[in-house]
Amino acid sequence: MAEGFDIDHLAKLARLNLTAEEKALYSSQLNQILGHFQTLAKADLPETIDLARVVSESALRSDEPGPVLGAEAVTRIAPASRDGQISVPRVVDDEA
Amino acid sequence: MADALHTLSAAELGRRLSAGLLTSRTLCEALIARYHLVNKKVGAFTHLDEADVLAQAEASDARRKAGEGRGPLEGIPVAIKDNIAVKGQPLTCSSKMLASLVSPYDAHVTERLRAAGAILYGRLNMDEFAMGSSTENSAIQKTFNPWDLACIPGGSSGGSAAALAAGLVPLALGSDTGGSIRQPASHCGVVGLKPTYGLISRFGLVAFASSLDQIGPMARCIEDCELLLRALASADARDMTCFGPSDRAFTPAGDAKKLRIGIPKGFLGKGVGAEVATAVTAAIEFYRSQGCAISEVELPSADLAVPTYYVVATAEASSNLGRYDGVRYGHRSASAGTPVEMMTNSRSEGFGAEVKRRILLGTFVLSAGYADAYYMRALRARSKIRAEYLAALATVDVLLTPTVPTPAFKVGEKASDPLQLYLEDIFTIPANLAGLPAISVPCGKSGHLPVGFHLVGAPLSEAKLLAAGRLFEAAHGFAHQQAAL
Repeated sequence: MAEGFDIDHLAKLARLNLTAEEKALYSSQLNQILGHFQTLAKADLPETIDLARVVSESALRSDEPGPVLGAEAVTRIAPASRDGQISVPRVVDDEA
Repeated sequence: MADALHTLSAAELGRRLSAGLLTSRTLCEALIARYHLVNKKVGAFTHLDEADVLAQAEASDARRKAGEGRGPLEGIPVAIKDNIAVKGQPLTCSSKMLASLVSPYDAHVTERLRAAGAILYGRLNMDEFAMGSSTENSAIQKTFNPWDLACIPGGSSGGSAAALAAGLVPLALGSDTGGSIRQPASHCGVVGLKPTYGLISRFGLVAFASSLDQIGPMARCIEDCELLLRALASADARDMTCFGPSDRAFTPAGDAKKLRIGIPKGFLGKGVGAEVATAVTAAIEFYRSQGCAISEVELPSADLAVPTYYVVATAEASSNLGRYDGVRYGHRSASAGTPVEMMTNSRSEGFGAEVKRRILLGTFVLSAGYADAYYMRALRARSKIRAEYLAALATVDVLLTPTVPTPAFKVGEKASDPLQLYLEDIFTIPANLAGLPAISVPCGKSGHLPVGFHLVGAPLSEAKLLAAGRLFEAAHGFAHQQAAL
């Protein structure tokens, strides 16, 4: 099983800022946890994945319009909104 | 009578309400008085809107008076874990990320409770986003075990279990991804059931690991647990995993004394506390004395369950929690120049340590170069574990083990060792990996701390689990137990 990870790369992928202390702590803890996962690497496992539902029922339903939250309810819980729309920092630079 | 209302079961309260011996208003006033007396010590509730509760109670009393009562839960308070949506109430998941969120809609189970006439009674503390086994990961407050206030109540539904054991409410909802209903139920001496995957809609449950998450009932006795389960289970097109009418789960289970009970080989050995082993062995001997056929069964891949779970659950969590980006709801950082800074700063400020740890782990096991070695292998191991459980359950009706290897530990004792905490769930995790129903039933004490045993059954065998629990409960004194506070 592959070992080792780049904590800076993981933090970037996960969109998390980590302090130096957090990086050291999480690296050590993740190493310990991944060490415990080595039983998976050594196990004799089936080649195929069979995870069909234990209760076999159709997951399909008709595609019909139903009730949705209105703009007022959505913007009320949004961190910032303007004119009935959610506002965010500028996405496209003027020069771009 | 009013001073003892907090000790009664939901079924008994329902009988008194039906007979006109009690009103929902009187009941709710008594429980609110109890809340003021006890909740500060236990920390089970994070929010209780007393005026709203009394208004619901009065509406229930009026319905009953008009002959429009809605069934056995009419007028009975049900407390709700803070990751299940109730319109107009906080939905924090005990996280700073959602500290100010008020839910704009009801979960399906909330709709079901309203339709049954239940009183939606407050918000219960939990590990942040249901990630933990001690409720110490709540960003809001600590919850303490009512049987020993120096100990944890278990988690992640620790508020639910503690509220029941403290006599704060007769019924509670929890959610269970790897044992989050059953482990705190065991630690607090109450009954907790995780239904078959798909029996109860998760619409309105904040997602943690969607292939594992289930909502379930918690109570102080089997009768109440069944009452709540029946109210919750129904078809819902808004959860694609939720199947239709649930009659199969409630088919009369036959004579519980004829159940075939399997004891997984080695499950009472290494790592199980002596008093836990004694209590669970006594439960096995009780069933044998009742005529049940006891046999040993092999589950050779049992030691793969914890690593498999923590790969699958963290992988799904890292994806599910991607939605917390500061855009549509939840915390948005005040210091954000660009959209990416806004997302990264919001997540870094809003999530607690355990949530970050699991997001990082889940991100790793899904990342390029590692997904085959971790995530895909875990799915193969999950297939194997499930096949072994289904094979075992073709030869016996239920599998019996301890719910947790050891009793509740001291607050802070395992806080710096996440791996030790992960091993708390060693007996409960396989039921989630395999989608099977499972229940924790109180069966004794280790010192003054409760111990529970754990039953797992085939898909939709909830009635068998409840019948087995009822047989044990009727012969022992552990139902309705509450801690002295």
